[in-house]
Amino acid sequence: MAHTKLDTVTKVFTEDDGSEIIAVDEVSIDIDDGEFLVLVGPSGCGKSTTLRMIAGLESITSGTISLDDRVINNIPAKDRDIAMVFQSYALYPHMTVRENMSFGLEESTDMGDDEIRTRVEETAEMMGIERLLERKPGELSGGQQQRVALGRSIVRDPAVFLMDEPLSNLDAKLRSSMRTELQRIQDELGVTTVYVTHDQTEAMTMGDRIAILDGGVLQQVATPLECYHRPENQFVAGFIGDPSMNFFDMRLEGERLAGEGFEYPLSSDITGKLDDSPVVLGIRPEDIELIDGTGGDHEYAAEVLVVEPMGNENNVHLRIGDTRFIATVNGMRRITEGETVTIRLPEKAIHVFDRETGEALHNRRLDEELAEPPV
Amino acid sequence: MKRVLAFLRRRRDESRARTDGGSTESRSTARRWLDNDFVRSAPFWGPPFLLMGFFVYAAIGWNFLLSLTDYTGFGGADYSSLDFENYRRLFEDPAIWEATRNTFVLLVVFTITCLLIGLGLAILLDRQVRFGRGFRTIYLLPFALSFIVTAQFWRWMYNVNDGIVNQFVGIFGIGPYNWLGNPQIVLGAVIFALVWQFSGYTMVIYLAALRSIPTDQYEASRVDGASTLRMYRRVIIPQLRPAMVSASVTLVLFALKAFDFLYAVFGGYRPRQGADILATKMVREAFGQSQWAYGSAIAIALFVLSLAVIAPYLYNQYTRGNL
Repeated sequence: MAHTKLDTVTKVFTEDDGSEIIAVDEVSIDIDDGEFLVLVGPSGCGKSTTLRMIAGLESITSGTISLDDRVINNIPAKDRDIAMVFQSYALYPHMTVRENMSFGLEESTDMGDDEIRTRVEETAEMMGIERLLERKPGELSGGQQQRVALGRSIVRDPAVFLMDEPLSNLDAKLRSSMRTELQRIQDELGVTTVYVTHDQTEAMTMGDRIAILDGGVLQQVATPLECYHRPENQFVAGFIGDPSMNFFDMRLEGERLAGEGFEYPLSSDITGKLDDSPVVLGIRPEDIELIDGTGGDHEYAAEVLVVEPMGNENNVHLRIGDTRFIATVNGMRRITEGETVTIRLPEKAIHVFDRETGEALHNRRLDEELAEPPV
Repeated sequence: MKRVLAFLRRRRDESRARTDGGSTESRSTARRWLDNDFVRSAPFWGPPFLLMGFFVYAAIGWNFLLSLTDYTGFGGADYSSLDFENYRRLFEDPAIWEATRNTFVLLVVFTITCLLIGLGLAILLDRQVRFGRGFRTIYLLPFALSFIVTAQFWRWMYNVNDGIVNQFVGIFGIGPYNWLGNPQIVLGAVIFALVWQFSGYTMVIYLAALRSIPTDQYEASRVDGASTLRMYRRVIIPQLRPAMVSASVTLVLFALKAFDFLYAVFGGYRPRQGADILATKMVREAFGQSQWAYGSAIAIALFVLSLAVIAPYLYNQYTRGNL
């Protein structure tokens, strides 16, 4: 168990033709002892490279990575006391499950055979794979291989766990049950964990904190709900949440935001934060209300383009003029395509971003500062 | 062969079932016979089947028959009195025992050295390709050359007076040696030349197997705490077993019948003393001394040795369902 610190870590890849690609750009993250940190971002954002630098599989161009105040930049992977779960599992095909799990202990510790056997068997029991110990990876299902891969890293009792999209090869049902199980195990062991994923559901549900990367640049490190409700910029706002936040290009004109097809009156505490540069108005689909009647300040008539019934809720694709957006409403409500409905965009739920920099100028208000959306 | 038999049996059973079923066939027997899959596919498998059967298996059979006669010199063989006299002679001939011993030395040393050098080269090259940039054609080049060419080449290099090998060892103040004339070292010199030619081949086989191991395996074992040496010994090389088996079968079979290289290097049927192997002895007896029957007996002995070598391999393939 260890406190892991990334300090302005940068990775530059040099291509064959001499051109340089900055994969990770001055990323600094402080990972607490026992914390579950999720690195999330679209593909190519540098999250896997960051993980591989922590593992020692990739050299660090500049900056430092330290484990408990010990800089590990130049310590080879095999001496870092780190365990990693690969997306492909990377089980050794010619070894049995038992041998796969013992391998790390045999190579990195001077434990005796008996001790190794006991440790492996205990871990196997914990992972529910004790009956698979004498089988080879080729004879196991994807889910079982996944468990073995996890067991192989758990058995080593490392300072830090690294997981590179470990659940992405599983089917949806298994993935959600493994998600819970992984959390349980991590809780139980209390080992610092860095988990890479592109799946924001995994990020939201599993992480103590999530670190969102885009184009090699760290966008925000915060708890999942903080990222959800108080995104630092438009990228985070759009990346977290499904369906993602609606954005409208607007400009401040006096006391109101003017955009294509509609205007949005603002109260003075928000206008005070803005100047006359172009902005983006953001609102989450679930904050858009479908109401009866019209007339209010933030109420508009919108045409229903498509309805996606999800059972418990409907995703309604709407249009005001040429502006399209999505609202998530109660699944019991009947809405038909082509119909015109009245929507309300409550002022307390809106976000405003600078259109140039993407920086959040105003985030939604939370009732009593509870990290819960207002009802 | 087994497949053909099974197929025939199945066809026979099928046609029986049809008659037992008592269904009335309006088509004529001839017509049905022509529509039969077996008959219709015959133009495709027939020619190779016949060619293989006649030129390979029949030839082996005839060779065996010949080895039971006393056929020497000119004229035809007398098939009326057959005995195992040639085989008895085989066991009593000291030259045969020496040739057999040399064959085995060649086989073992050549195969193992090729496998080791090929493995080393493949690992180095794989590391270059995997973790950097590299090219591999240069290593395969010797194998692409004809034996006649490389043998001539080595003849020059091994030349006692001005060969490059003697020039080279001369730098260290040793030699010159008569590489191809000294019975003590001639076999070693031949093996060295063969290893040079075949290491590229084993390297390619190993390399193909190495390339199919995902980089994740290398990284997983590094994270697991294994040093490079331990990683190769415990994780990578064990996965090369199938490649090793198929490469060794090829090498061993080549070593058993390495006639052409020796013929070219010594410019005749008679290798220098110390380098005679069963294959050269066989050709010499038959075509040099016109001892046709005796040569045939040596050929059969060599054939049995080859079978003994590949039998475990074939059995292994059979149990895995690859045959």
